[in-house]
Amino acid sequence: MDRARVKAQLLVVGGGPAGLTGAIAAAENGVDVLVVDEGLEPGGQLVKQTHKFFGHQGFYASKRGFEIAKILKDKVKNLGIKVMSQTTLVGFYDDCAVAYDRENNRTIEIDYDYVLLATGASERFLIFKNNMLPGVYGAGAVQTLMNQYGVLPGEDFLIVGAGNIGLIVAYQIMQAGGNVRAIVEISDKVGGYEVHANKVKRMGIPILLRHTIVEAIGKGRVKGAVIARVDENYRIIEETKREIVVDTICLAVGLQPSVELANQLKVELVYIPELGGYIPRRDENMRTSASNVFVAGDLAAIEEATSAMAEGYIAGYAIAQDITGKDLSKEMERYREELNDLRRGPFGEKIRKGLRKMGIDVPSGGYREENQKDFGPVGKLRAVIECYQNIPCNPCEAVCPTNAIDTGGNINGIPHINYEKCVGCAMCVMKCPGLAIFMVQEFDEYSVVGIPYEFEPLPEKGQKVILMDRGGKEVGEGVVHRVMVNKKDKTHVVFVAMERGLERTVRHFRLPTREEEKIVCRCEEVTREDVEKAIDMGFTDFEELRRYLRIGMGPCGGRTCRLLAAGILARKLGKSIEEISPMTLRPPSIPLPFSAILRGDEK
Amino acid sequence: MERRIKNHPILDFEEKGYVTIYFEGIPIKAKENETIASALIANGFDIFGFTEKGRPRGFFCAIGKCSSCLVVVDGVPNVRACMTKVRDGMKVERQVGRGKPTWTEPE
Repeated sequence: MDRARVKAQLLVVGGGPAGLTGAIAAAENGVDVLVVDEGLEPGGQLVKQTHKFFGHQGFYASKRGFEIAKILKDKVKNLGIKVMSQTTLVGFYDDCAVAYDRENNRTIEIDYDYVLLATGASERFLIFKNNMLPGVYGAGAVQTLMNQYGVLPGEDFLIVGAGNIGLIVAYQIMQAGGNVRAIVEISDKVGGYEVHANKVKRMGIPILLRHTIVEAIGKGRVKGAVIARVDENYRIIEETKREIVVDTICLAVGLQPSVELANQLKVELVYIPELGGYIPRRDENMRTSASNVFVAGDLAAIEEATSAMAEGYIAGYAIAQDITGKDLSKEMERYREELNDLRRGPFGEKIRKGLRKMGIDVPSGGYREENQKDFGPVGKLRAVIECYQNIPCNPCEAVCPTNAIDTGGNINGIPHINYEKCVGCAMCVMKCPGLAIFMVQEFDEYSVVGIPYEFEPLPEKGQKVILMDRGGKEVGEGVVHRVMVNKKDKTHVVFVAMERGLERTVRHFRLPTREEEKIVCRCEEVTREDVEKAIDMGFTDFEELRRYLRIGMGPCGGRTCRLLAAGILARKLGKSIEEISPMTLRPPSIPLPFSAILRGDEK
Repeated sequence: MERRIKNHPILDFEEKGYVTIYFEGIPIKAKENETIASALIANGFDIFGFTEKGRPRGFFCAIGKCSSCLVVVDGVPNVRACMTKVRDGMKVERQVGRGKPTWTEPE
């Protein structure tokens, strides 16, 4: 076994959002930093996040997680920070820290003055029958497989838990080409953001509240699941048990901080359920009970990656201030303000309560709570914002070229739009991380709705689509009017023309699938709809239908479709089949080689 | 069963750089920058091993935390399939129980 001994002023354990920002903040101030990270590449769980982040425009908002990972990795590289990948910090001992580098099968002893623990969290497991069956995976695990490695582990998924992770993973499974059969949530409300829930609801994915998983079905591999309703004490109601056919079950039931190394460093751990369970006690600068040990990210409290980054910066500056003696209080204050804004709203309540138990006060309130009632002037091409919760996010406000959108002075405020200023450019639709902004315009005969669209394939102008309402119910057919391709951010805007009045209900669409077509003629793949449409167009005679659709002209000679087509024709025309004249049936009556048709002397 | 994503609206997955690894003696195609776990799942293998009591065991967390995906790599047991990059010619076996420990004398 190879051995090495290295030195660093600051040892950062974990190269995720918290660890990398901590390393950056310290290195920018002249601290010698070493990052030890387990992953194949640094970036932590950012590398598998394909959704756009909420938060402040200017502090990574509206960027997708994997793009943020790239920005941070580039900064780390430019600052010359040493990163040991595929290396796990296995233990802290009295004289040094010990890491194992599995790529080179090497043990590394590390001397350090300060340590920043950014070890993240692990997914919680759940107790139910047959829960160890292969195919029962953590939701984050499925996200890693599909978004980092491009592998979708199944076709039909059940998600357990409707927090943000469950909702996001459900959406991303659909983007990767899978089907989500249901999301079950044991409590009586969706825990994640409404905008995330709306994205999956309008695709028709049921979110079953007060439901849980009872059993995984299968031997060796998931073949289904039993789900059931629960009563007010979360006990399963036996008679509501039912089976659903799925091949993969994703558990999105929360995370727990990875405190093992913190415990080895003998920092004080406290149990605060609001923050994720056992966590290291720390002050507002992320310093633990040991003066040279700092924490940040999910280890400090289960929260979003954006708060992890703010905490990383604070910890990095605090450490740099200790080591270099520079006054970095302004920098720390800036990120504390950022954190305060991220935690100020209703979704920050749990975190605020948890932090108060450690003696850290976070302000709440101070933002606009009123929804905009106005749907805007009928007939004008305009944006309609359907964002009704106080979540910390403002890219819509920041991107609007005419300053038509404002969040009322704080990023937690409900965005309002000034319809006099809105020019209908759809920039906000492409930017909104919650995909909660739509374009609307009414015409005399029809209306057009612009829908944010992040799926493959992108429809083309003139294509027929099936319209869906906010709950995923199919409410009619529409035609693609215009497609705004967004090459950079990949949130395209598809404008769909539909019956007037539907502009207030339609918020999604899907392309018709081959599986839902009803075939009449197997040889030429003519559908019942094709036949009916042709009759409506005026082809009311069998012979005409045949020439127009090629129905009955295939190799079977009409044996399969003749009666079916005659039936449709009779029904449409209000005649009996006897009154319909059969088509002319020409030779050959079966498919033949050409040589069989030639006379012997012909060449 | 091939479970690789062909078209994705946000991500580009490169179609190049394959190596061959052997799972229980069966040659499978793996991308050179992926983990053993993703290569196995991509090729339809969900059972990574068996517990001491004979229960089939798959992976669970995919980020190196749960130790559910332990496999035997080139004779060495207790290797986390989700954190270990594939290598051309690598021999991966299902681990049974805690695996048979190996010990080589330090040089």
